[in-house]
Amino acid sequence: MRTQPYPDVATPSYAAPSSVGIGLRAPHYREILDTKPAVGWLEVHSENYFGDGPPLNVLEGLRQHYPVSLHGVGLSLGRADELDRTHLTRLKRLVHRIDPCFVSEHLSWGARADRHLNDLLPLPYTEEALQKVCAHITETQEFLGCRILVENVSSYLRWQHDAMPEWEFVSEVARRTGCGLLLDVNNIYVNAVNHGYDARLYLAAMPVEAVEEIHLAGFDEGAGCLIDTHGQRVAEPVWQLYREAIATLGPRPTLIEWDTALPALSVLLDEANMARNILEQEHALAA
Amino acid sequence: MRSLHELQASFAAGLLDSACDGVLTHLIPAQRMNTRDGLNVYRSNIFQNYRSALGDTYPVIQRLVGTDFFVQAVDAYIRATPSTSGDVHDYGEDFGEFLRTYPGAADLLYLTDMAKLEWAVHRSYHAADAATLDLAQLADIPEEALPALRFELHPSCRLVASPWPTLTIWRANQENADMQALIDLDSGGEQILVIRTDVEVELSSLPAGDYAALAALLSGAALGAAFDAAQTQDETFDLGAFLQHHVLNGTLANIHP
Repeated sequence: MRTQPYPDVATPSYAAPSSVGIGLRAPHYREILDTKPAVGWLEVHSENYFGDGPPLNVLEGLRQHYPVSLHGVGLSLGRADELDRTHLTRLKRLVHRIDPCFVSEHLSWGARADRHLNDLLPLPYTEEALQKVCAHITETQEFLGCRILVENVSSYLRWQHDAMPEWEFVSEVARRTGCGLLLDVNNIYVNAVNHGYDARLYLAAMPVEAVEEIHLAGFDEGAGCLIDTHGQRVAEPVWQLYREAIATLGPRPTLIEWDTALPALSVLLDEANMARNILEQEHALAA
Repeated sequence: MRSLHELQASFAAGLLDSACDGVLTHLIPAQRMNTRDGLNVYRSNIFQNYRSALGDTYPVIQRLVGTDFFVQAVDAYIRATPSTSGDVHDYGEDFGEFLRTYPGAADLLYLTDMAKLEWAVHRSYHAADAATLDLAQLADIPEEALPALRFELHPSCRLVASPWPTLTIWRANQENADMQALIDLDSGGEQILVIRTDVEVELSSLPAGDYAALAALLSGAALGAAFDAAQTQDETFDLGAFLQHHVLNGTLANIHP
């Protein structure tokens, strides 16, 4: 991923396949800086570090101790019009400052014309949308000078126009662009429940070699659907699906994400331990 | 079949205005809900995201008007003002101007200036760091060269002038502040310097001369012109004391080459 000299960083930019990371959020800065918990890597929302000042200083400090993954929420890869070059430029600057182990974004849209909606909105799974999102992924990879990962999102609506199932769209994106996949197992589960399909079909359709990272998070029960809030512990059926994913794919760097109702750091570390145990068990079985 | 452009345009319109429901016919909801409720999940995510962002940026406004009123005002602002950045930290710059005419807030004349101050604090926090100037560097400059000197102000430096005691109100509405003190709204205006040279953003009320001089320097004027601007505000303006204070404070971060 190196395209130019990076500042002298003590910790290599690499997340081992059997390592578990946690999402880094501002309320946990102090404790992580002070205690340096034994996690494999940290992941942040890229946009939270587009500015300068204390947040970027903290991240650069932690980068000395951990590999860091940059996970974007605002690029809008699936937008029908043009990518925002200012956004890409800010992301590229951050990539050069941090030397990340992964750069990832979402398989969704969140902006059109002059208006950003700053959300992860569902794409129609059509050939037109596939071509557009693939062109934008290629543009992003060329602009940044590195491969990116794209993540499957949870959804509460589908489009009438869908010409293929989500899993076909996701694997086709990886096949056409050469990008990696960030497989969010919770999102697969949420969508399988919401839209009434078998999550195992989805998993089975994933191109094994393209999956570079896995996300785990908790959902909430909404009125008539599961909502991907990242505000709970990982649910038991999602742990089960994760075990199956690891058995099929082999070990993959796995991240515990938590965004709303952020608990004590110890809860995230506890969830990370759960994931690590599963990775080790599955690894032992395979050996 | 509708194009991706058309689908995204109608989805965006439906999110922001529930009366624009043309998009509903193009959507299939999650199994156990109807389409309108499905769109509502996205709508509430989006509004909640902006409420949270503006709540972080404008805690004093929220405290002054109360949470319910704040949320109503933010929701109206969201409908009136598109976000233009994929970074939600960029959203909300003209919330203060919006409040100037928002029903119920327009009577609270100082809210707009308070919002401008909070936006300045927000931007100052995320501004770049800079090395600070050494007083000795200034001492080496011959006196006759001083009027032509230009300064770079610290990147985090922001100036906010208000006819109200806006900084006093801001301080009284910080956590742990002494709320016993009653503030006389007619006690006069404040001219405020916002700066962050370390981790914390610092705010201070400036004498009129200092404010005028910094505003002039910030706009690119040379020190001579800044001195003149300061003197029209305060005949007793002391340039030496000004330079010493604002070099030590980090406000004057560099001498323009």
